[in-house]
Amino acid sequence: MEKVLLKNIENTNSADITEYQKIGGYASIAKALEKERKDIIEEVKKAGLRGRGGAGFPAAMKWTFASGDPKFPKYLVCNADEGEPGTFKDRPILEKNPHLLIEGMVISGYALNAEYGFIYLRGEYPDAKHILERAIAQAYDRNFLGDDIAGKGIVFHLSVHQGAGAYICGEETALIESLEGDRGQPRIKPPFPVNVGVWSKPTIVNNVETLSNLPYIIEIGGEAYSKIGSPECPGPKLYCVSGHIEKPGVYELPMGTSLREIIYTHCGGIKGGKQLKAVIPGGISTPVLPPDKIDCPMDFVNMPKHGSMLGSGAVIVMDETVCLVKVCYRALKFFEHESCGKCTPCREGTGWLRSILERIEHGEGQEGDIDLLLSVSSNILGKTFCPLGDGAASVVQNFIKHFRPEFEGHITAKTCAVEG
Amino acid sequence: MITVTINEKEITLEKPITVLEAARSAGISIPTLCYHPALERYGGCRLCLVEVEKMPRLQTACTLMTADGMIVRTETDAIAGVRRGILEFLLINHPLDCPYCDKAGECELQDLVEKYGPTTGRFKEKKRKMPESLEDAIIVRNMERCIVCTRCVRMCEGVQGASAIAVMERGGHSHIEPFSGGKYDCEYCGNCISVCPVGAIMSRMHRHSYRPWQMTDQVETICPYCGVGCTVTAQVRDDAIKRIIPKLGSPVNNGLLCSRGRFGYEFVGNRDRLTRPLIRKNGVLEESTWEEAIHRVTQKLGEIKEKYGSSSVAGIASPRCTNEDNYVFQKFMRVTIGTHNIDSTARTGYAGAQQFIENIFGQGATANIISGISRSDVVFVVGGDPTTVNPILGLQIRACSRKGGAVLTLGKVSGLRYFSPHALDPASFTETVLLEGIVTELKNRKELSGSHSSLESNIKDIAVSVEDVIKECKIREDDFHSFITLLSEASNPVLIIGKEIIQSNGASYKLLLLSAINYLINGRIYLLSERANEQGLLDMGCASDLLPGSRPVEVAELRRRYERAWHVTLPDKPGLTLFEMIHGAKEGSVRAMYVMGENPLFNLPNSENVKEALGNLDFLVVQDLFMTETAESADVVLPALSWAEKEGTFTNMERRIQKLRKVISRAGKEDWRIISDVSGNMGVSFPYDSAEDVFAEISKVSPLHRDLTYDDIEEGEALWPFKGEPLRGGMEISCNKGDGATESGKYFLAIDRPLFHSGTLSRKSSALMRLCPEAVARISSTTAAELSVTDGDSIRISTRIGSLSLPVFIDEAYDGSLIKVSNNFRGKGVFSLMEYSLDPVLKSPCMDNVIIEIEKSDRHVQRDPKNDSEVKK
Repeated sequence: MEKVLLKNIENTNSADITEYQKIGGYASIAKALEKERKDIIEEVKKAGLRGRGGAGFPAAMKWTFASGDPKFPKYLVCNADEGEPGTFKDRPILEKNPHLLIEGMVISGYALNAEYGFIYLRGEYPDAKHILERAIAQAYDRNFLGDDIAGKGIVFHLSVHQGAGAYICGEETALIESLEGDRGQPRIKPPFPVNVGVWSKPTIVNNVETLSNLPYIIEIGGEAYSKIGSPECPGPKLYCVSGHIEKPGVYELPMGTSLREIIYTHCGGIKGGKQLKAVIPGGISTPVLPPDKIDCPMDFVNMPKHGSMLGSGAVIVMDETVCLVKVCYRALKFFEHESCGKCTPCREGTGWLRSILERIEHGEGQEGDIDLLLSVSSNILGKTFCPLGDGAASVVQNFIKHFRPEFEGHITAKTCAVEG
Repeated sequence: MITVTINEKEITLEKPITVLEAARSAGISIPTLCYHPALERYGGCRLCLVEVEKMPRLQTACTLMTADGMIVRTETDAIAGVRRGILEFLLINHPLDCPYCDKAGECELQDLVEKYGPTTGRFKEKKRKMPESLEDAIIVRNMERCIVCTRCVRMCEGVQGASAIAVMERGGHSHIEPFSGGKYDCEYCGNCISVCPVGAIMSRMHRHSYRPWQMTDQVETICPYCGVGCTVTAQVRDDAIKRIIPKLGSPVNNGLLCSRGRFGYEFVGNRDRLTRPLIRKNGVLEESTWEEAIHRVTQKLGEIKEKYGSSSVAGIASPRCTNEDNYVFQKFMRVTIGTHNIDSTARTGYAGAQQFIENIFGQGATANIISGISRSDVVFVVGGDPTTVNPILGLQIRACSRKGGAVLTLGKVSGLRYFSPHALDPASFTETVLLEGIVTELKNRKELSGSHSSLESNIKDIAVSVEDVIKECKIREDDFHSFITLLSEASNPVLIIGKEIIQSNGASYKLLLLSAINYLINGRIYLLSERANEQGLLDMGCASDLLPGSRPVEVAELRRRYERAWHVTLPDKPGLTLFEMIHGAKEGSVRAMYVMGENPLFNLPNSENVKEALGNLDFLVVQDLFMTETAESADVVLPALSWAEKEGTFTNMERRIQKLRKVISRAGKEDWRIISDVSGNMGVSFPYDSAEDVFAEISKVSPLHRDLTYDDIEEGEALWPFKGEPLRGGMEISCNKGDGATESGKYFLAIDRPLFHSGTLSRKSSALMRLCPEAVARISSTTAAELSVTDGDSIRISTRIGSLSLPVFIDEAYDGSLIKVSNNFRGKGVFSLMEYSLDPVLKSPCMDNVIIEIEKSDRHVQRDPKNDSEVKK
């Protein structure tokens, strides 16, 4: 497959606007500006583009809601708060291909009649901040941003807002709170951001990768785009693979490539020829899979049928040397640390789960602890304000579901059979 | 119409409300913790999760809006499990220190756990530790008990507008903390305490001194402090007020209180209270009996009346006393003594201003509902900071701003500075010019309706060059024009007038200009009122020119009504106003004075002059709670019952008559009873056995209060214009432009009206004294730099009539050359420095041109409030 999102990134100067234009960059803006706004949304609908942030919500539907709202101004926010553990797929776009994102945002801004855009960038990406700001300045210089884009009188302004290191700010309403200068905590929905978002105005929050698909959709047309990868959720997809793997990294492959193909064909298999023990396919919040479940196509539609989710496409590969109790404990430590504290089950429950797991991991597990873990996690699941708590609870439930004997072993033997 | 089904019960709704509200309206209870009707929806505690058909996840009833056909279940096994689970989560880190916690017994968490919660705990780890914070003098925080419902934060930010506290850290470490650290830097409204469902944020004033179920009584009454007239609930144990709490749904304050209302009640139980009558013998006030004291008063007043005539006796009534007290007092002066020499400190501003406005617009022009302010689209504030004078009214302005209304201020108003005010801050002494400019410009944009001939003819005469105004006032042209645009385009504007403008040079002309503005924008006027019954006292006729029901003394046909009722002939000319009485005492035409619940020796400008005048009297009787500055000069001092110890009524600034209920018992007499005793002894008996008897007479005598009963008041139906006959306006307008004071000094003295004090009563409350223990000179940072002083340094302020040495407080909220000093602390009142001239129309003092000299004095050592002689409990 021709590379779309990671095109030209081997070029060490790929973040420069001249290099980007050399390979045809920014050509889609002119093409898009010739179209009616609604026709661009129609094109995105035809393309079948689904949000790449994790939930896979159809982009055109979100856009239709926002552009149907009579309030102005409208805001376009790029969610670059890539915080899901295991995820680093947006980073190459931000650092190596920033103009692709800017071009995508200009097109989206035009389609949505939004004149202001923000890139909400995770605090831990300081390099990306400088690169993006330089790229934005270049785009202003060449009239791809500003008050008269491409001489067509189109207005779009863009700036970078850096987060302060909170995972929850990847959740779109918490992101908006943070963008407004408030404490990063999710808001009540409805109203949804498409109607009441940044400063109570219609706001479209899309992931970096989602927006970066726009220039290509305009270039080849929605129809042609929809032929790439899975028919139900087409397009190129970035998979970031880490862990015990020969060639970790970010891979741009057609949506729906199977987990097995990603691991064994593209990434060269398990490191050192060891045995695969478990895979987390879409970032820490997605259910862990045992080795016999990796023949699933990695897309939004098929992964749930196989007991997990595509999530952010962050594949974490673990070999036989890994203690899964420890992984589960570390995951809960993360969720406890990142819980914003707004709702009771997540604020109190993640810490409780962590402390039980900590006990088990340290050989102090007691009989009944596994049932307690399941009970506490089910008191969280489906009761929290936002999906963060659900993520924490489902990690515990799925690790126990697939690897219960390992937990039992820790409790009875008071030690870890894998790590000793 | 929307129909929803909750637990198989069909509920029909007029408009969409939340599932929780719908359920509760149908008597279905759903447990909640983070929900509070006065606060924005939050959805954090998750206790109110319910099942909704066709929705895959459980939904929080407090956030979910009802939709037609919605089917909700709240009592399934699954929901019971959810509630148990949530409560278990709330308890795992909770200290479970109920036996020690003051909240136990009225703790929402405790109640819910008892009803829905788990019976045993499964949490085996160590609980989170957060030491109780006793750093603040008033508010104690125990964050181990906190359930992070954020009701306090939402109250502080979204209702009070103080934004003093926030959730700090996150996740399991989340806790509430003031931005200022352990000690609060806030308005001390205590509304965070009201809404805390657990024992996390509590008042220290009554710490560990009661359990909720040990309260012997709980009485709903009216706050004794300002003219807003908030409903308060006083909780009593063993005949002492333990605490004051607000009540949701009460008409004026709807569950909110301010610092004075909540924490200022301690004066009632202060051990400095006068208990027995005192008579001056050989120059010393000595304890005596009621018989002897009343005999002395009767004898002396009789003698002086006999010798010098009725008009040699004067009475000063009290805006802190009830309508009944004041009615009886003015009747005593008019009937028993035979003079209209009855007035009050309302004369220092409120009385004259109200009369001026009513002469134009008719009686009741300022009787507007306070809660209407938040629903207006433009609020124009002139002459004071409503958030300190009338804090609960101030919240209405903040709410208006929050809802998108525009807040316009003349000068900078500190308490509104975070509410995007459009402030026009004219150069010193150019307010008149600016107001003329506003009238001129509004007149160009608005047509005169022709409905008000005398005001319109005045308006027609006002025409100034807007260019000159902008130049003279040193304001920005843009600011001026956006101000005008907001005013002229307002559909529901409000004009709020404070005392500062009424006490300035040319006040009556300024009031004319404000009336003109109000007329042009078709607004509603609110007059800020510092005292609880300032309005009522005027309505009762405690004014030298007005009879009960505010009928002018001079009009014979109106006067006859009273003469018939009281079986007397009344003098046909008004009596002496407050300042004329002082003058009369000094000159010798006033020989005796009866002061009820007032402290003129401290509360009136040029205190030294007042002292001299009162010292010149042949006889001074003072009826009060404490040995005030005035009482110290008296010949007879009569101890009165306080607000909490008697029945009666107050009339607030919106002219709502509200019932004061006896909270605790104390030996002694109400003010009206003491006066009745004196009157009876003088041969004119007043036939009252109770406050209700007095009110029954008021409703017969006063045309405003006609047929009004205590029952009407209890039912909340005593709202303006009652069942009475208000007088119409449209009278000829006379006003005085003043002497055109100009900036002739470098620094000017102004009256500070602090949030934590009011008059001299508040200095008998230990909580308020802790919040604001001493008088300060409030100066701007510019002034501080010029004087090279910092916080804690002292300066000596001198005027022609006196000097005071005061510690400096640099207030970042304002700039300019004003130096503000309050009039609350003994020996440190700003009035001891203030000379005044009287506005010839309003008869109120002008005090805005007091030139002062300042020098740096010795470094100040802060007074320890614990050893304060003013506060003894």
